[in-house]
Amino acid sequence: MLVVKDVTKQFKQGDDIVTALNKLSFTVNDGEFVSIVGKSGAGKSTLLGVLGALDTPTSGSIEISDTDIAKLSDHKLISYRNTSIGFVFQSYNLIPNLTAVENVMLPMEFAHVPPKERRDRAVQLLEEVGIVDGREQRKPGKLSGGEQQRVSIARALANQPKLILADKPTGNLDSENGKMIFDLLHKLSRSENTTVVVVTHDLDIAGKTDRTFTLSDGKLVSKK
Amino acid sequence: MNIISRGIRNAFRNTIRSGSIIIILALSIGLVIAMLAARQAVQDKIASVKANTGNTITVSPAGVRGFDGGGNPLTSDQLAKVAKISHVTKVVETLNDHLTSDNTSLKSGIEPGRLGNRNANNSGVGAGPTMVFRSAEEDGSSDGATRTFTMPVTITGTNDASAIKTEGSTNLTWKSGKMFDTSKDANVAVVGTQISSKNSLSVGSTFTAYNTTFTVVGIYDAGNTFNNDGVYIPLATLQRLSDQSGSVTGATVTIDSSDNLTSVTNAIKSQLGSAADVTNSADIAAATTKPLESVGGIALFSLIGAVIAGAVIILLVMIMVVRERRREIGVMKAIGASNVIIMWQFVVEAITLTAIALVVGTGIGIVAATPLTNALISNDSTSSTTTSGPSDTAQMGGGRRMMSFAGPGQFGQASRKAVENIQASVGGATLAEGAALALVIAILGSAAPSLMISKIKPADAMRNE
Repeated sequence: MLVVKDVTKQFKQGDDIVTALNKLSFTVNDGEFVSIVGKSGAGKSTLLGVLGALDTPTSGSIEISDTDIAKLSDHKLISYRNTSIGFVFQSYNLIPNLTAVENVMLPMEFAHVPPKERRDRAVQLLEEVGIVDGREQRKPGKLSGGEQQRVSIARALANQPKLILADKPTGNLDSENGKMIFDLLHKLSRSENTTVVVVTHDLDIAGKTDRTFTLSDGKLVSKK
Repeated sequence: MNIISRGIRNAFRNTIRSGSIIIILALSIGLVIAMLAARQAVQDKIASVKANTGNTITVSPAGVRGFDGGGNPLTSDQLAKVAKISHVTKVVETLNDHLTSDNTSLKSGIEPGRLGNRNANNSGVGAGPTMVFRSAEEDGSSDGATRTFTMPVTITGTNDASAIKTEGSTNLTWKSGKMFDTSKDANVAVVGTQISSKNSLSVGSTFTAYNTTFTVVGIYDAGNTFNNDGVYIPLATLQRLSDQSGSVTGATVTIDSSDNLTSVTNAIKSQLGSAADVTNSADIAAATTKPLESVGGIALFSLIGAVIAGAVIILLVMIMVVRERRREIGVMKAIGASNVIIMWQFVVEAITLTAIALVVGTGIGIVAATPLTNALISNDSTSSTTTSGPSDTAQMGGGRRMMSFAGPGQFGQASRKAVENIQASVGGATLAEGAALALVIAILGSAAPSLMISKIKPADAMRNE
């Protein structure tokens, strides 16, 4: 279970302090598929960063399976991000000079999974997301946007995380590929019983998730 | 795929850029290797020069320089004790005497000129020991009353075949014949080209001295007029014929290394006490090695400069690369890479570029080592010649009439010759040092980027969207 309690995140911008997240509190159950919507600058990506332990909240707590990630040391945070959280980015963020399978193997290498095991699992994950027939040996530059995002999803699932955080995963894709990616995330969250939090501008996609949180000026204005 | 293979692969992400970096870095490493080789060659040469040039001590009877001054000669017994002093490898004994028209058929090959006549006039009351007067009749003059001054003939007895060379002439050549056996008391002599020409001597010719007939067994060329006017015979022979049994007027003591010059000089002084004046060639050795030490210094500074330049090149490249891959670093951190993993990946990348540059640079270093070393020495020798005149005029022993083969400028020229044309070779040790310095370059060059990496937050991966 993901429990967010009174999370505030402030940034210093020159002499001013900008409040990106303002005392947010909500809960997401295990295996739930939720979306976060809101206008640009509402704090969606900041929230995702804080949830993913990429950034620390100024105040408040974030508990994932009873662990307050705001209190973890840097070393434990690295390990936590590696094994408990999977990220899917809008721009895919694959390492350009690694092949698809090598990109998927990367989080497993950081988790010290034995080489053969990580290769087998990477190939299996790529099969699940439809990257087959030699495309798994291609570098990102030789794959379409949809294919790259599928590789990105496979990478996010590599270490069987409890939580997948997807930041506008369909933002750079056409509607057909966007739908395909969304369906894939949905399917995988169900099959792997993984909690998925998706930030999106697409209200159609948001409408298909279990719940939708709407952010405005760093505050949670609605939960559906 | 692991850190090492990723780092190596990353080094070739941009082939043109990597190629350019490798070429620039190779030039830097090539200079490092060339300077290492130059420094090694110079150090070897300094050691060699110190061992061969600056390792002699001159021993003269107290108050005597050549034929000037007064006092009592040294004895072979005294010098035998000197030979037993630690680090002494050889003692070359010499006994000098002047031949006059009364006891030799030889004529000096040098005309007196104004300097010779001046010396004759200033040599004291009456005919001094350095003066030879011949009657006009002897000189073929029709006026039998006139006596003209001619230069004396210096005869030297020596106990060592290398005596002539040991006394300073490094370019001694035998025009004909060879050195006599110095261990035997025999009526044989070697003469210089100047006096042999004047007296029409060749190997096998004879002349008289001390009412004894000598056979010429060798004719040498010492490279200058003064030294080529000399006559050498065995020491024992001269001691016998000149009634100076056991007497020695000079000795050159050779020691194992110039590092022991001071201690052995002091030991000889202590051994001989007030009977001898003891001087060493430390100044000459210092003057000889000074340009080399200067070159060694230049090589060291160039080496440090090249290492710093290489490190700066890698540093700037890696900073550029880190800035370029900021988001990628953020992504790697987001998916679980620690700072250490990412830093090592960049260090491996830097080492890969440096290792390739090392291979290319080694080739450059091998080719450039000798020309660079000689260029450094040549430039430095030129400046030394201009600024260090005294070293060129250093004399061994000194003295107006001392039979010295180290005339003004000769030793300096010989020393300079000794330090020129050094062959700087790139050996295993140099390569190992070059590789170690290349590693230092890579690590130094990766240090600042590593610091930058540690400051990149994983959230940057999302902020840069």
